Amino acid sequence: MIPFLHKLISGKYRTLKGKDSLATAEEPDHKLLMEQLDRQKAFYENILNKLPTDIAVFDPDHRYLFVNPGAISNEEYRKFIIGKDDYEYAAYRNRPASVADKRRAKFLEAKNSGKEIRWEDTLPDPKGNMITHLRRMYPVYDEHGQLSMVIGFGIDITERKKMEETQAELVKQLSAQNRQLTDFCSIVSHNLRAPLVNMSMLTDFIESTDDPVEQKLLISKLRPVIDNLHATFNELVESIQIRQDLEIKCEDVCLDDCLQRTIDGLQTEINKLGAKIETDFTQVDVINYPPQYLNSIVHNLVSNSLKYHHPGRSPLISIKTRKEGEKVILSVQDNGLGIDLVKHKENFFKIGKVFHRHPNAKGFGLYMTKTQVEAMGGRIWVESVPDEGSVFYIEFDHRIKQAS
Amino acid sequence: MKSIFLIDDDPIFVYLTRRIIASIDCPCQINEFTDGELAISHLASIGNQAEKLPDVIFLDLSMPVMDGWEFLKEYSDLKPKLKKDIALFIVSSSISPQEVERSKGYRAVTDFLIKPVEKRKIIEIMDNVKL
Repeated sequence: MIPFLHKLISGKYRTLKGKDSLATAEEPDHKLLMEQLDRQKAFYENILNKLPTDIAVFDPDHRYLFVNPGAISNEEYRKFIIGKDDYEYAAYRNRPASVADKRRAKFLEAKNSGKEIRWEDTLPDPKGNMITHLRRMYPVYDEHGQLSMVIGFGIDITERKKMEETQAELVKQLSAQNRQLTDFCSIVSHNLRAPLVNMSMLTDFIESTDDPVEQKLLISKLRPVIDNLHATFNELVESIQIRQDLEIKCEDVCLDDCLQRTIDGLQTEINKLGAKIETDFTQVDVINYPPQYLNSIVHNLVSNSLKYHHPGRSPLISIKTRKEGEKVILSVQDNGLGIDLVKHKENFFKIGKVFHRHPNAKGFGLYMTKTQVEAMGGRIWVESVPDEGSVFYIEFDHRIKQAS
Repeated sequence: MKSIFLIDDDPIFVYLTRRIIASIDCPCQINEFTDGELAISHLASIGNQAEKLPDVIFLDLSMPVMDGWEFLKEYSDLKPKLKKDIALFIVSSSISPQEVERSKGYRAVTDFLIKPVEKRKIIEIMDNVKL
């Protein structure tokens, strides 16, 4: 018989039957009464044992008074634990004492606060699946206000938890997409509508004049507007394609080759400015990534360093990789104009943001780079001092070449 | 002579606006600024010289370095120190209602004009300028 029922029968705990029935325990039909109690005990124990939740009852010193099969299915273990605490049980089952530490902390929290506590607990089951329980523990007091026991029970909320996580992920994705849509609308509104307005105004002027010299002048102004519209349109299409390339393929991309491609593309600029490019790929020289993304990222960062060079010195660009656990950090450092980050922190990678007076700056480059980095689960950030230069960092998640 | 500050980085639009203003019968002095920062520092430097301050500001929103919104923030702080009552019009290619709404949060903004701005609107604005 489990200890707390013993106590009930011996009269120490009176909550179950009350004073009157215990008074009759001294009468001659003692045997009949014991039978009745046994039946009642079996009835209640059956309910506790059949409840599809795990139940544990503790004495005020955190020793087990009762556990149901929902909590410990093995009968032998279940019998062992009665009268013991979690430390003894952990030793018995060869489990680390840290499990017992956590349970003791929760027990003390319920005992000391005098209130029900709730928490979520995720542990692997014997098959290694992660199971999440919602656990509740509450102290029970006797009529003198003394703590008589602490009841703990938990229900399996693994399915609900999974669903919540899926939903949270979906909400995150949706709000990111919504933000991108808002950005996109504003960029369409500004950058596409502006050249259209110019074209329609120029056409109005052309129509309203009969002077051929005047007409010719106005027509000559149409060309750059159309070119600008074309370029903006292409860049917008490209940025949308990144978002649609859901199944883009990763390959092992050699950073030296990737950089060489960029240097070849920018050779004229590099020569003109007398730019020096140094590299250090000793820690990581190959990154598993979609090649067109990596090419575009490296190209954008290097071409930005050239574009925003300091007028007083030749550009010096230093490109390095660093390993941090399973992550790779690529850094591109320059000695260029730099950016006032205090002023522009919020807008740094935002579409359409331009920080310098440069004729070819449209504010797409960094936005695209950020999109390409984030599409693959990475991060990008910048450190910069105006007039000294900038360092762009890209963190690639799990992109180290697989050991072959 | 009336004075206009045109704050816009789009050379074609500035050219077209100049042509419209030239075509109306109203002699004007036009100063151009290709971004908000150039305009705000100039305004700050002439703040107590009423004769140098403009009657009207046309402000674009999408500009490099300091965009129209950033300009408005600094302009609102500067305005009480300016020795002239200036009418400020946002002139944007944006058709976003959120931006129109946002502009209402700035007391310095007289109105929000969507590009293209019609000639008669400019005539109306210039007529309202009292010398």
